Amino acid sequence: MKRLAAIAALAALAATAACGQVAAPAGPGGVYTTIDGAKQIDATAPINPFNPQGSTFVGYDAMSLAWPKNSLTDPNQFYPGIAQSWTTTPGQGEVVVHLRPDARWSDGKPVTSQDVRTSIGLAYTQGGSAYTVNAGAAGAAADIQVVDAKTIKVVQGANRSNTFLRNVLSTVVVPDHVYGKLLPAGFWATLTAARGTGPAADRAKAEITGLTQKVITFAPPQDVSAGPFVLERINPGAALLRRNPYFYDAAKIVPDKVKVLNYTGNEQIWNYLVSGKLDSAPFTAVPAAVMGRIKSAPGNAVRRGYSPVAASMAFNQAHKPYDNVHVRRALAYLIDRAQVTKIASPEAGTPSLTTTGIHGDSAKAWLGERLATLNPYKVDPAKADLELKAAGMVKRGGTWRMPDGKPWKVELHVPASFSDWVAAAKSITSQLNDHGIDANVTTSADYVLYLDELAAGKFDVGFWLMALGPSSYNIFQRLYGSANGWSLLAGRLSHSPPGKDGNWMGGPEKIDGIDPGELTNRLNLATPQEQKNIVGTLATVTNQQLPVIQIYDYVNTQFINTSRYTGWPPDGSEALRLPAGVWMQLGMIKKR
Amino acid sequence: MTPLPNQRAPKTRAVARRLGGHVVRGLVMIWVVTTISFVIIRNIPGNPVLGQYEKLIEKGMSPDEAQRATAALYGFLPTGTLWEQYTGYLKALLHLDLGQSISTPGTEVVTLLASAAKWTVLPVLGGTLLSFLLGVTLGVYAGIKRSGKLGDLLSISGSLLHGVPQYVIGLLMLAIFTTLWPILPPGGPVDVEYVPGLNAGYLASLVQHATLPVLTYALASYGGWVLAMKSSVATVLGDDFILAAELRGLTRGVLFRYIARNAILPLFTILALSLGMLFGGAIFIERIFNYPGLGLLLVNSIGARDYALMGGTFLVTTVAIIVANIAADLLYTVIDPRVRTGGAA
Repeated sequence: MKRLAAIAALAALAATAACGQVAAPAGPGGVYTTIDGAKQIDATAPINPFNPQGSTFVGYDAMSLAWPKNSLTDPNQFYPGIAQSWTTTPGQGEVVVHLRPDARWSDGKPVTSQDVRTSIGLAYTQGGSAYTVNAGAAGAAADIQVVDAKTIKVVQGANRSNTFLRNVLSTVVVPDHVYGKLLPAGFWATLTAARGTGPAADRAKAEITGLTQKVITFAPPQDVSAGPFVLERINPGAALLRRNPYFYDAAKIVPDKVKVLNYTGNEQIWNYLVSGKLDSAPFTAVPAAVMGRIKSAPGNAVRRGYSPVAASMAFNQAHKPYDNVHVRRALAYLIDRAQVTKIASPEAGTPSLTTTGIHGDSAKAWLGERLATLNPYKVDPAKADLELKAAGMVKRGGTWRMPDGKPWKVELHVPASFSDWVAAAKSITSQLNDHGIDANVTTSADYVLYLDELAAGKFDVGFWLMALGPSSYNIFQRLYGSANGWSLLAGRLSHSPPGKDGNWMGGPEKIDGIDPGELTNRLNLATPQEQKNIVGTLATVTNQQLPVIQIYDYVNTQFINTSRYTGWPPDGSEALRLPAGVWMQLGMIKKR
Repeated sequence: MTPLPNQRAPKTRAVARRLGGHVVRGLVMIWVVTTISFVIIRNIPGNPVLGQYEKLIEKGMSPDEAQRATAALYGFLPTGTLWEQYTGYLKALLHLDLGQSISTPGTEVVTLLASAAKWTVLPVLGGTLLSFLLGVTLGVYAGIKRSGKLGDLLSISGSLLHGVPQYVIGLLMLAIFTTLWPILPPGGPVDVEYVPGLNAGYLASLVQHATLPVLTYALASYGGWVLAMKSSVATVLGDDFILAAELRGLTRGVLFRYIARNAILPLFTILALSLGMLFGGAIFIERIFNYPGLGLLLVNSIGARDYALMGGTFLVTTVAIIVANIAADLLYTVIDPRVRTGGAA
């Protein structure tokens, strides 16, 4: 017992001694503590931004050419990053990027066009929208030219996309003197060959994609950053970044260090927020009770803005009775979206105005007055009854049944790990039960399993993320893309029947002569005016046909703490969804 | 009396034979468990790349960015028929190659396991030993004083803590020591501001961060030890040698040692098995305190459908439990002569 007491006393002593100690004290700028919303920390991962789990942090030590603004409709709005400015030709055929003249790596070497060219070459090995070796893919770059040490030109291929600029400016830039050796001699000639057709092109493609793992697993011995910070140390619980003295706008950067805490679930972020440890935290789903505790912590505050995501109830139209639009409309008339949102996501959601496929804020900008002409599907049991009767459904003993008199049961599927979806589904089924529709909620153990079962067509009705703006193509691709049968392979659009190639929505290929998948694909290539027309048509079709019922639009809810720093982006800021490292680059964050 | 060399040889041979039998049985068990877990893992539904893509979308990443971030992951998925994957897996296993992770693409599973194992050892080993020492010591008192208030109090505390799930204790500890009385960090293994090494700040931070996981584990396990020890003591108290010791007028201290030494024997086996379970991690505790041990690694690998990592974590747990079983068996023959001599001691 004496020994035990001695051990306990020593432990307590050590713990007490640790309180308030700092190993290498930060300067007057202090230590900024945050969370990386894009990934969890894995201290064993290489310091390599091409590794999805890499020990680099976007906005802090991983830099893009530019940073996307949170625009409602225009995906090509950016804040400057390593690129000071850029120009495009009409139709985005060419993008010329001018780098910051004073941009340097953390080892003092200048950031040059060659760094960007190498970064683009490495991006080709990973695949992606602008940097793909698939001949004919929309928006693929066709040529990369170093104009001078600080200027680079990227030329788009013949099959043009209106998001080419966005994809080029999103290029993450790494130093050529560290990563250049990953690209074999003759890489650019191989890339040219890969853009062709035939066996030689296939061999060249295989050679490039064969580099994927080599690039992902590359582990530089230390971080070489062009951002405001450089990685000092990482452990499984956190990463510590110190200021990069060579950063081009070093005077704007206030914190001396940034501590990025790890998390494995939202509840850990809540704990950090409740204890007031975080200077800022990205969007996190928070129950109302926890939100109250977070807000009561000294200095904690919330910033809200546009989040281009919405939650919807999606139908498998290959399953009866959901192939009948009257049934889908009836359900829309029975669901009180405001009530569902109040229960499921009171802090981070607003009830959808109606179903358009577009987030409510964005819909106003896209559709203007046309939005008011769409059916709002306000709660109206009488209209629901009429729709159900039009679908041939019969009501017996107060319960709606299938046209042949067999029982009708609405099984609403959600992943168990999404607490807001589960709450929403329970609210919806409760409302349907009140109106004589037998409905219940079924959960899948986790999201991966849920998606697998959804894609396999096992569900009649499930929850689905949609309205992924600001790109109009991305918005409607969620409704009229691969989940509904339309696939784009090497620039060619095709439609698979329900139950094949991931088509679980099972909607018709044409509706009143309109091919929504084809229209969606055209959004990628259309001019702004054409896009507006197509978006109007697709929103109307979506509103009438209801492949989904849009339940609530997400609100980007960020947490900040004003005890140590000030200058946060205001509510609705176009910078709100960017990492705090970018806020610092923009000169927003100041010491209190 | 020291046995003669010719008397010692048969005993050595017998121990070697016993050990050899254990090792062979252990290897067969490892193969069986590995095969079963391989088949189960490969048949878990879910596409890890699609899952990762949709998770990024859910976090607000644009579809293009999410596609860029996940497209390359397809290269890390196992290929070939199930049989080809199985034979390849076994061949690699013979070279201690557990494959590469998909959730940390390109990182060897062995590296991830080694990294997580060191963080599991501290809270689980610390918690196990602390609860064992406390539980066993207080269990003796509970057994001896079982008719008194102290015995009642200890028994009630043991029953109460034994009945409360680990995660409830963890959440309570978290609420008390990080919110109501915020003297300990809410999560993580060590403050990253300290330079790793044998320096006071780093070591103190380690202790500070491990305190809540260790205490939670110790409190959650304490009840079991108290109750088991109390029961064992009650059995021993009825033995003739205790009566003889009392009649000989031995001091209370000596009597306490007599009772404790004999009552603790069955608990050693449980302790050895508990130490084997150590490598299974403490999933709830690691999750609550964001402690990056093997339990958390296993949970994350299942969520990400990281087949190689799941297989590696199961293997480590299996091997540890089998080794602990063998160690418990051999240890028991050392500490209890009745087992060694077939009950003729």
